[in-house]
Amino acid sequence: MSISTPGGNQSRPSVVSTGKKPAADRPAAGGKPTASGKAGGKSGATKPGAGKSGARPGGGGKGRKPITPVKVSQGRAWGPIALFVAVGVLAVSIIGYGAWASFQGSKPWEERAEAIEGIVNFRKTDPELVKGANHQEGPVQYAQAPPVAGPHNSSWQNCMGDVYDAPIASEHAVHSLEHGAVWVTYRPDLPADQVEKLAERVRGNEKTFLSPFQGQDRPISLQTWGYQLKVDNADDSRIDDFIKTLRVNASIEGPNALCSGGITATGNAPRDGAQMPQTQG
Amino acid sequence: MTAPTMADRADAPAPAPSEGGRASARRFGTVALAAAVVVGLVLGYVGGLFTPTLTRPGDASVEAGFARDMTTHHAQAVQMGLAAYQRGSDPEVRQIGVDIALAQQGEMGAMQTWLRSWGLDPSGSQPRMAWMAGGQEMVKNGLMPGMATPEEMARLEAAQGRELDVLFLELMITHHTGGIHMIDGVLGNSDEPDVVRTAQTMKNTQQSDLVNLRNALDRLRP
Repeated sequence: MSISTPGGNQSRPSVVSTGKKPAADRPAAGGKPTASGKAGGKSGATKPGAGKSGARPGGGGKGRKPITPVKVSQGRAWGPIALFVAVGVLAVSIIGYGAWASFQGSKPWEERAEAIEGIVNFRKTDPELVKGANHQEGPVQYAQAPPVAGPHNSSWQNCMGDVYDAPIASEHAVHSLEHGAVWVTYRPDLPADQVEKLAERVRGNEKTFLSPFQGQDRPISLQTWGYQLKVDNADDSRIDDFIKTLRVNASIEGPNALCSGGITATGNAPRDGAQMPQTQG
Repeated sequence: MTAPTMADRADAPAPAPSEGGRASARRFGTVALAAAVVVGLVLGYVGGLFTPTLTRPGDASVEAGFARDMTTHHAQAVQMGLAAYQRGSDPEVRQIGVDIALAQQGEMGAMQTWLRSWGLDPSGSQPRMAWMAGGQEMVKNGLMPGMATPEEMARLEAAQGRELDVLFLELMITHHTGGIHMIDGVLGNSDEPDVVRTAQTMKNTQQSDLVNLRNALDRLRP
């Protein structure tokens, strides 16, 4: 049904158009005699005159007249032309969209990160902070809340999709960021259903971890090494964009840096040397 | 070949100046032929340039899904294996632990390299296990088949000595069994030679691991 109907509609206009075309040509043909009677006499005289003087037999002149208009009227069958143009435009737009989509997808992650609305790129604003990776014992003062890079404890926070229900030491968490993890933090007053939505994105997803953070200015914040995005709602689609674009990619140590075997304890104070077992068997 | 004959036919009803007309038609035919050859070469070159890009596994492919999910699956096995190596008491358990940890960490590197060479992120847009038929139903609390729960991992991290040996063997047997199930999912549905070969190697390793893990468990279980 759906195939035969457009085909029938489109074949009919081509028949109609052949009727129109000769009709459109006729006034032009009829215009020649009237024009030749007046100023058009020059063109009327030169055209046939040149044609005949070119040693053409009279039969050739007669033969030309019927053939040329028929050819023109058949060549401008608008139905098939419209069909081909439509199919062509469709094909080009499909191919074009595919090419555009794959081009967008193949953009480097840095460009896609820049396209996330509201993201802060500390690699641009504070390259010194992002460069450094010194291990440091004891508490570290960070300029950002939550921190995004900088010196950190030699032990990292376990980031195997861990969901921490209490604040953790930034000194360990920053080490996890260096290993390519996404640290999702929320203000302690975030409603439980919102926290659960964040936990669903983290649970079982290695190179991510979740914890509350005291003193952050927005309800939800996402950190990777050198990047931060703050949002108000756990339903914000930029959370998924941030994780997809920056998880592991933002690591300065590559995909083989560990998230396991880290500190699993909570509490704001860093634990120096607590990552390795104290008694080796 | 075809272009000149068509040009001749078009000339046929036209008047006499036959010599000049055929010559120009021939010239036109040569130009058209040359242009066609050039266009054909350019199209072939461009096609060859883009074919690897267009035929490599995409963001939602079985191969990409397997590489991402198996990386996460392997990462937990690395954690288990290192726990056994660091704190186990039985020499064979410690040996198996470090063997599994290093082997799987190496395979993670290979899988991450695939993703990078395919121009894809380590993280997918699709849910876990969506690449495998019925896969999403196998995910429990974000955990893929065979993976230990956070509570089991906490128990493993807290355990010492013989208790740790036995718990590691039990958890790793479950882990490998689920892993082989996922490997079967890619083996039947991929024709990427390197993916199939690596997946087959993973399966061989984990099957022989399973024999040794079960024998060790029989020996150590109280």
